[in-house]
Amino acid sequence: MARLRLPVLLILVAFVTVTPFLVMVLVAFAPPGGQALPGAFDITRATWQNFTDVLNGADIGRWALNSLVYSLVSVVLILLFSSMAGYAFAKKRFPGREILFWAFLATLMVPFQATLIPYYILVSKMGGVDTYWGLIVPTLANSQAVFLMRQFMYQLPDELFEAAKIDGASEWRIYTTIVIPLIRPILATLGVFVFLWHWNDFLWPLVIGQSEQMRTLTVGLATLEGENTAINQIMAGATITVVPCLLVFGLLQRYLTDSIATTGLKS
Amino acid sequence: MSEEITRDTASREAATGEPVAREVATARVVTVREQVTGKQAVREAGPHQGRPGTPARRREALVGLAFVAPMLVLFIVFRFGPTIGAAFLSLTDYRLSGEWRFIGAENYTRLFADDVFWESLGVTAVYTAVYVPMTVLLALGTAVLLHRTLWLRGFFRGLFFLPYVTSIVLAAVIWKWIYQVDDGLLNATLGALSLGPVDFLGDESLVLPSIAATSAWKGFGYTMLILLAGLQSIPREITEAATIDGTTAWQRFRWVTLPLLRPVLFFVLVIEAIQAFQVFDAMYVMTAGGPIRASYSLVYFLYDSGFKYFDFGYASAVGLMLFLVVLIFSLIQRRLIGREAD
Repeated sequence: MARLRLPVLLILVAFVTVTPFLVMVLVAFAPPGGQALPGAFDITRATWQNFTDVLNGADIGRWALNSLVYSLVSVVLILLFSSMAGYAFAKKRFPGREILFWAFLATLMVPFQATLIPYYILVSKMGGVDTYWGLIVPTLANSQAVFLMRQFMYQLPDELFEAAKIDGASEWRIYTTIVIPLIRPILATLGVFVFLWHWNDFLWPLVIGQSEQMRTLTVGLATLEGENTAINQIMAGATITVVPCLLVFGLLQRYLTDSIATTGLKS
Repeated sequence: MSEEITRDTASREAATGEPVAREVATARVVTVREQVTGKQAVREAGPHQGRPGTPARRREALVGLAFVAPMLVLFIVFRFGPTIGAAFLSLTDYRLSGEWRFIGAENYTRLFADDVFWESLGVTAVYTAVYVPMTVLLALGTAVLLHRTLWLRGFFRGLFFLPYVTSIVLAAVIWKWIYQVDDGLLNATLGALSLGPVDFLGDESLVLPSIAATSAWKGFGYTMLILLAGLQSIPREITEAATIDGTTAWQRFRWVTLPLLRPVLFFVLVIEAIQAFQVFDAMYVMTAGGPIRASYSLVYFLYDSGFKYFDFGYASAVGLMLFLVVLIFSLIQRRLIGREAD
């Protein structure tokens, strides 16, 4: 009996964890209109109707594109700038290095919402409302990324860089041909997390993307919800929103869970 | 029996002058803790050539600055600037038009006299008090379960972590439907048991626990992974010794595992509390702050002050209050974790 208790409990928690996703998918594929619940569980009546309806009714394609641009461009730029900064903080000596690093880290203590207003005023004065750069650029100053990069680069052996320098390689060349290949693991980890943070981000896209054209998928989903769209269509929209996250998760599951346990990455 | 174990651990600790396994349990979260408290040893870095002032040293400094430059510019414009800006704005009556006057502490006196502010602070405090134990207990329970089973461990670990990679907006949209009175999954289930219906999001006393449950579903996987790492770093000999002494599983958990896990547990408690105090997305989507402001959080108040009433100066003052609360949490953490490490 006692031996059985653990698996039973595990399955119970797993059931509660998975049910909302199942419900989402079932309602998304149920015939539109009428009672969602009983109909939803009749698999023989499954239909793509809600997906085509929501795609025709709302600008989901454009929202998905916005989310993709926001996430992918941010990933590339954050990885580039934070690895450059991490390299300097770990391997170069320059005046103010420690103070700067602590100043970067100290910003972790300031919650984003506390500076939301000046942030918004600044970006709108610069003409960034309803633009991609207004959405992306302010989110690039990421202290977690710089911190992780610096920690990772400490362990790279100095001799490598010395040897390259003796061979006459320029600093930029050392960075692109030696540093970047060596830090591939941390680039991958951070890249995945930055992608998920931006894909799932809500408050900043909400205030900066004011026209319907500039909404991201999460903001679009929230407005669908607010506009009393049929529940079947909302769930179809939700399913579209979650697919990239599930793909990333499916491909990198073990890797993601391991890196949380060791680095404690959290947005 | 259990007292013997604690005494045994205690005597070992006394003999070595160091907590036996606490050190190990702490080691895994060191990077995590550093990120939050900024506490770590300053290490000397780099291939340093020559003495200060030599051309080689000057070149190294220039290269270093050049590599930091892009990030530095971003931080000055989009982090340091807005932080100072927030403090300054809160002393003005800045509005949408862009016209402003320096009004000193007026926003703050207005804030302290504003019932809606105190209400939102209360809502946020209650939400935090409900959400944090809920998430951490769920995470601790599943972490212990996973730690003790080998059966499909990786599979379950991934499954419990799954909601964490989705957005809170998505969780809110799905759960809003699950909570619905007429059609929702929960009330349909309750109905089948001839119970309910329960208006989860429409009842003033149920709305915060209901939203907290949604956030807990979304977020417990992260906390579970951190706690699982903590559990796995507890040396097996300690629990084995306790088993040989004939203790029950509960006694081992209560008197061996839990004390050794304390630093990690404390870390996740503070992280989750800081997180909970910034709650907004779920309430925006699920209840719009209602019913009658029963789920109107501090950030919601900030958002409305700024983007509904365009009272930017006032909203900045609310932001500073939020910062103050988060700062207090961080300081408590620093103090207590600092003591653990000593």
